[in-house]
Amino acid sequence: MRPGPIARLPNFISHYGRQLGTLSGLLGLILVLWALTPHFLTISNLLNIAEQATIIAIVAAGMTFVIITGGIDLAVGSVLAFSGVVMASALLRGLPLPLALMIGLGVGLACGLVNGLLITVGRLPPFIATLGMMSVARGAALMFTEGRPISGFAEGFRSLATGEVLRVPAPVIIMIVVYVVAHFVLSRTKLGRYSYAIGGNEEAALLSGINVRLYKTMVYGIAGMLSGLAAILLTARLNSAQPIAGMSYELDAIAATVIGGTSLLGGEGTIAGTLIGALIMAVLRNGLNLLSVSSFFQQVVIGSVIILAVLIDMGLKRRGK
Amino acid sequence: MKKALGLIVLGILSVTFLSCQRGTEQAGGAPRIALVLKTANNPFFIDMQKGAEEAAKKLGVTLIVQAAEREVDVEKQMQIIENLIQTRVAALCVTPSGSREIVPAIEKANRAGIPVVIVDTRVDAKTMSESKGKIATFIGSDNYEGGRLAGEYIAKKLGGKGKVAVLEGIPGHETGDSRLKGFREALKAAPGIEIVASQTANWERDQGFNVFQNILQSHPEIQAVFACSDLMALGAVEAIAAAKKTGQITVVGFDASDEARQAILKGTMDATVAQSPAMMGALAVENAYRLTRGEPVKDEFVVPIKLITKENAGATDAK
Repeated sequence: MRPGPIARLPNFISHYGRQLGTLSGLLGLILVLWALTPHFLTISNLLNIAEQATIIAIVAAGMTFVIITGGIDLAVGSVLAFSGVVMASALLRGLPLPLALMIGLGVGLACGLVNGLLITVGRLPPFIATLGMMSVARGAALMFTEGRPISGFAEGFRSLATGEVLRVPAPVIIMIVVYVVAHFVLSRTKLGRYSYAIGGNEEAALLSGINVRLYKTMVYGIAGMLSGLAAILLTARLNSAQPIAGMSYELDAIAATVIGGTSLLGGEGTIAGTLIGALIMAVLRNGLNLLSVSSFFQQVVIGSVIILAVLIDMGLKRRGK
Repeated sequence: MKKALGLIVLGILSVTFLSCQRGTEQAGGAPRIALVLKTANNPFFIDMQKGAEEAAKKLGVTLIVQAAEREVDVEKQMQIIENLIQTRVAALCVTPSGSREIVPAIEKANRAGIPVVIVDTRVDAKTMSESKGKIATFIGSDNYEGGRLAGEYIAKKLGGKGKVAVLEGIPGHETGDSRLKGFREALKAAPGIEIVASQTANWERDQGFNVFQNILQSHPEIQAVFACSDLMALGAVEAIAAAKKTGQITVVGFDASDEARQAILKGTMDATVAQSPAMMGALAVENAYRLTRGEPVKDEFVVPIKLITKENAGATDAK
């Protein structure tokens, strides 16, 4: 006989417990802000927060894949800038919109694949390979634009940021699609399962016949391509592609991933957790602005929340074992 | 344990709330005016904030001051403006982190019916005219004139002949670009002077140091440097000291920060261009206040500037 839903509950909690932990953190945060300011829990503000979360959330989705394989990608912010300026100049040269968008994604993908090859074929530690790419892509973006922002796009392109479906901003819809696909890939496909296996024990994965090089390279390619997607949305949002865009986004993306319960040691993590992590960061920044907290103190609060979230997460993990 | 995160976040936010008196919501009465700075850790913007706060006190308005962590972070600045729109402030004063990137945020404020006062950095005219954005007024210095003053000073100091380096701000910033234009225009009158190096140090002090050190390596014969901000000029001063060339190279900055004035009095720097950030901040709040009362405001306010040298560096009247 199958156990009833109540009897399955403890099982459910231990399985999804860590996500419930971050989720209850998010809900707690929302409750507190709701109590503190009447401007927080309004539909327009919640949509505003979702829109603000999109760019980091999309970059963090790629970061989650990378971190699950036990790696790290420090180049995402620079790759974002480089893809953004290349796509922007393609647009200004009159290329059709879909082609320009493909170019943006393609530049991101290419940078990511180079990272992957440096790590798998070149055997560089991910930290070093992506640190190098961080500088190369940034410099390339600056050279490409001579340091100047590129702007002046057609309304059609800008509607990627300004468009709405039933009041929901277009970037939020794109983010949801990215997360649904990423969740599917991570939980239902070979690439997803192998990512966990590689992060859990790379040697064992290799011995069990997994093509570690191929899958690791693919994972960095995905991270790069998602940076390209984030670049498209950021450029549409600001109506400008800046060569200095995306600075320190890698840190925000890592923070969102880690708050979401992904282990920096690899082998563990969920895509839903990362979405919650990105939302926690966005809600926190929004709330601190609404409460007119001094910008210096905001940084202290955000840093403290990151540390606490991970401390609690580690506590939960130890308990679970 | 699962609730612990929620509880701790709650704790942090309560402390945040208690430690921040300005967090209390206004129940009508005094209008709430927001000032969004490029950054809160540059002396120029700190002076602007002080001027704004004094004016707010005089007028009895509630002033909210917010800034992104980094001066060039246009995305964060946009988020701050979006969040302030959510709190329905009566007026927004903004020092744009990007002359073009600010435009979508202005459009959003327009749509919410919140008047926008632009301070210090002009909005890109072309981007503005392409969009439907509208600003209420602009308050700032004549940066072109400031650059011209700096150029004339250097031309005179070098006797119309010599090699000069320039430390630029971030390209695409109206303020830095106008200063450069003014500077180059002034040097046209002195054909004996040659700009041998012109590079960006991204408005930052440590980059001013590194970039100028590198310039000195490739052009040891340089006689003068114009930096588009005092922070970069002070970085160059350190690089000159490290090269044991203090006093041999004329250093001109921009902003007349306290530290730059000290350096001029000490003789490690030669001149700077004084803007009046405090006056800008005060004018911003006063005009925002007029806007909230439906009173008319001028399209533009040009805040006076002047060259500060050893003769007048001690006086603080320019502030």
